[in-house]
Amino acid sequence: MSSASTSPANIPLKDSIPEAGASLESILCTEELQRRPLRPPDYEKENCALVKLVSALADSPSTIFQTLAETIQAITQCDSAGLSLLTRDGKTPDACGKRFYWPAIAGMWNPHVGGGTPRNFGPCGDVLDQNRTLLFRHFERRYPYLMPVIPAAEECLLVPFYVAGQAVGTIWAIMHSDRRKFDAEDDRVMASLGKFASSAYQSLIHIEDLKFQVSEREKAEAEVRELARGLEAKIRRLVAANVVGIVMGNLEGAITEANDAFLHMVQYDREDLASGRVRWTDLTPAEWRGRDERAIADLKARGSFQPFEKEYFRKDGSRVPILLGGALFEGNGNEGAAFVIDLTEQKRAQEMLQEAQQTLYTTQVELARVSRLTTMGELAASIAHEVNQPLTAVTNNANACLRLLADRHLDHEVLRRAFEEIVADATRASAVIARIRAFIKKAPAEKSELDINEVIQQVLVLAGHELQKKRILVECQLTKTLPLVLADRVQLQQVLLNLIMNGIEAMTAVTDRPHVLWVQSQADESGDVLVAVRDAGIGLGSEVDRLFTPFFTTKASGTGMGLPISRSLVESHGGRLWATANSPHGAAFWFTLPVAGGSPS
Amino acid sequence: MIGPPIVFAVDDDPSVRSSLKFLLTTVGLQAETFDSADSFLRKKLPDVPSCLVLDVRLPGLSGLDFQRELAARNIRIPIVFLTGHGDIPMSVRAMKAGAIEFLTKPFRDQDLLNAVRVALDQDRARREQEREVAELRRRFNSLTSREQEVVSMVVAGMLNKQIAAQLGTAESTVKVQRSRAMEKMQAESLAELIIMIQKISSLRKAS
Repeated sequence: MSSASTSPANIPLKDSIPEAGASLESILCTEELQRRPLRPPDYEKENCALVKLVSALADSPSTIFQTLAETIQAITQCDSAGLSLLTRDGKTPDACGKRFYWPAIAGMWNPHVGGGTPRNFGPCGDVLDQNRTLLFRHFERRYPYLMPVIPAAEECLLVPFYVAGQAVGTIWAIMHSDRRKFDAEDDRVMASLGKFASSAYQSLIHIEDLKFQVSEREKAEAEVRELARGLEAKIRRLVAANVVGIVMGNLEGAITEANDAFLHMVQYDREDLASGRVRWTDLTPAEWRGRDERAIADLKARGSFQPFEKEYFRKDGSRVPILLGGALFEGNGNEGAAFVIDLTEQKRAQEMLQEAQQTLYTTQVELARVSRLTTMGELAASIAHEVNQPLTAVTNNANACLRLLADRHLDHEVLRRAFEEIVADATRASAVIARIRAFIKKAPAEKSELDINEVIQQVLVLAGHELQKKRILVECQLTKTLPLVLADRVQLQQVLLNLIMNGIEAMTAVTDRPHVLWVQSQADESGDVLVAVRDAGIGLGSEVDRLFTPFFTTKASGTGMGLPISRSLVESHGGRLWATANSPHGAAFWFTLPVAGGSPS
Repeated sequence: MIGPPIVFAVDDDPSVRSSLKFLLTTVGLQAETFDSADSFLRKKLPDVPSCLVLDVRLPGLSGLDFQRELAARNIRIPIVFLTGHGDIPMSVRAMKAGAIEFLTKPFRDQDLLNAVRVALDQDRARREQEREVAELRRRFNSLTSREQEVVSMVVAGMLNKQIAAQLGTAESTVKVQRSRAMEKMQAESLAELIIMIQKISSLRKAS
C-alpha cells in the first residue's frame, strides 16, 4: 500500500474514543528536546521564510495554511508539516469544536489533507489539554486510528496556537525516519510560526466569513433575480392575458406600452399607440382631471395611489367607466405602470340590480295595494256570481209567471212549480249571504302587544315608494312612550295603509298646495291610543255620512270596501274609526285602540 | 219545410237552466238546455232557425273560448251572452266576435226575449240565403261546361260576338247556348242572371 493511495476517506472520522493502546506517557518524549544537541539557528533562512509567509498572508490569504505548512517544512527540514484546526463539523473552524481538521499539509503526508483527529483522543487534543508543545514518538501506538496514515510518524512535534487567548489548533512537523531528531531550536521556530498560524487562522476565519457573506449575498441576489424573473413572467402573463388593461407611461401623459385589453377598452389600436396619439391626459374627461391630479400627488409622495373609479374617453368619444390603480417604477420618478379595469359590465349589473331592487320594491308596494283591492274585488265578484245565479232564476221564473198570468194561462200546476222554484232560489241566495258572513267572521285575528309608532313606521316604509312617486311630504308627529296596544299587526297595517293610500289618492288632483300627509299618534283623554291620518287633498265634501257605507266609492278603481272594512277591523279591536274635515284643506281620519291590559303601562 | 225555431241555452246552474226554459216557453219558443259546452257540442243540430244563450262563466271551456270553438267548427249559430258581472272588456270581445247581445244577470226578461228574437231572425235569414244559394248552385251545375263558360263571359259584360270570337264558334251558336242557360237558371232577364251568379260567387268567397 503506497502513501498516495491512503486517502482522507480511509481515516476514521468518528468522534468517539477508540480503544486506547499505549499510555500517553509512553509516546511522549518532549523533555528530550532540551537534551538533544542544538542545531545552529539559520536566521537568514528563517527570515526569508517569514517574509515569504508575511507576503503570502497579504497576497493570497486563501492559501496561507499551505504556505505555512511549507514554511514549517522548509525551516525544520522535516518530512511532513501541517496544521490541525478545531472544527465544528469537520471543516468549519470553531474553538469549541469536537474534531481537528487538517486543512494544509506539506511533504509526505500531503495526500492526507482533509483528514483529522478527534478532539478528546488524539495528539492535538493532548497538546491543547496540556497547553504546551509536545513531542510524540510513534503516536499510532496509543491512537490506533493513525496507523493507516502512512508513512508512520517516527517523531511529531506539535505546537498549539491561540486566537484571543484561546487555543484553536496546532501546527506540527513530522519525521518519518530517524534521519533527524527535533531539538530545542525546532521548538523555538515552531513557537514563532505558531503566531503566524494564529494570524493566518484569523485571516482565514475572516475570509471564510467574507466568503460566507459573499455566498449569502450571491444567494440573495440569485433569489431576487429568480423572483424578478418569476415576477416578470407573471407580469408578462398578466399583460398578455388581457384580463385587465395594463399601461405603462409617464406622469406627463404619455402611454408607452399598453396591452390589448386596454386598447380594446378605449378602442384604439397598436398604430395609435405607436404614434403617441394615445395619451392618458387626453383620454380623461375634464371633470376627472382633478381626481387624476390627486393620484399624481400620491404617486409623487408614496410611489403609488389607491385604485379609484373614473372614466376614459373611447376613440369615438363615448365614455367607458374604469377602475384605475398604479405605481411608479422604483428609482425612476416619472415613469410607472397602471392597471385599468373596465367597469362597464359591473356598472350595468349594478344598475340592473338597483333597478331590480327598485322594481321589487315597487312590486311589493303595488302587490300590497293590489292584493288589498283584489281580495275585496274578488270577494265582491264571487258574492255577485253566487247571489246572481239564484236571483236570475227567481227573476226569470217570476217574469214567466207574470206573462202566463197576463195571458190568463192559469195552469195551477205550472204556476205552483214556478213559485216553488222561486222560493227555493230565494232561500239559496240568502244561504249564500249567510255563508259569506260566516266566512268573514271566521277570519281569526292574531293579537299581540304592539308599539303603534313602530307599526306606523313600517306602513310608511311599505307606502314609501308610492309617497315618493306622488311627491308627498310625510309629517310624522308620533308621541313617544305611548302604551302598547293589543292588536293584530297585519290588520292594523291594513287599516293604516288604507288610510294612507286614501290620503295619497285624495291629493293627486290637488295642484295649488303642497301634498302633505300628517300622521300622528297620541293618547286621548280616556287613555286610549289615538292615531290620525290627515291629508291636504280634495276633502270629503257632503259625502262624510256615506264614507263607511259598503260599495260607496268616489274613485274610478275603488271597491267602496276600504273604509267599511277598516272600520270593522278597528271595531273588532275595541276601537273606533271616524272621519272629519281637515283644516284648512283635506280630510282627517281618526281611530282609537284600547291599551293592552286595559290600562296604560 | 222549415220547422219551428229552437233556442239552446248553456248554463251550469240547474235553476237558471230551468227558469230560462220556462221563460222561453211562456212566449211560445221551443227551448233546449245544456249544462256544459261539451254536451251542446255533442248535440246534432236540427236544420231550423236557432240561437244559443250562453253563460260566459262555464266550467271547462269558457263562454268566449266556446264562441271561438264554434266558429272554428263552422257552426254559425248566433249567440246571446249572459254574465254574472258586467265585464266590459269581455263583452267587447264577445260582441266583436259576432255575439248578438251581452246581458248582465239578473237581466230584464224583455231584453233577453228581444235578443233571442233578433238572433233567431238573423239565423233564419242566413239559412234562407244559404238555401237560395244552394238552389242557384244546383241550377248552375246543371249547365254544360260550355254553357257555364258562356254565362261567365256574359256576366263579365262581353257581347255575343266577342264570346264567339273568344270560343272560336259562330255567334248563332253562342246565342242558342246563352238562351238555354238562362232557361236552366230560371233567369227572366240578364240583370237577374248577373245577380244570381254574384250570389253564388260571393258565398263561395265568404266560405
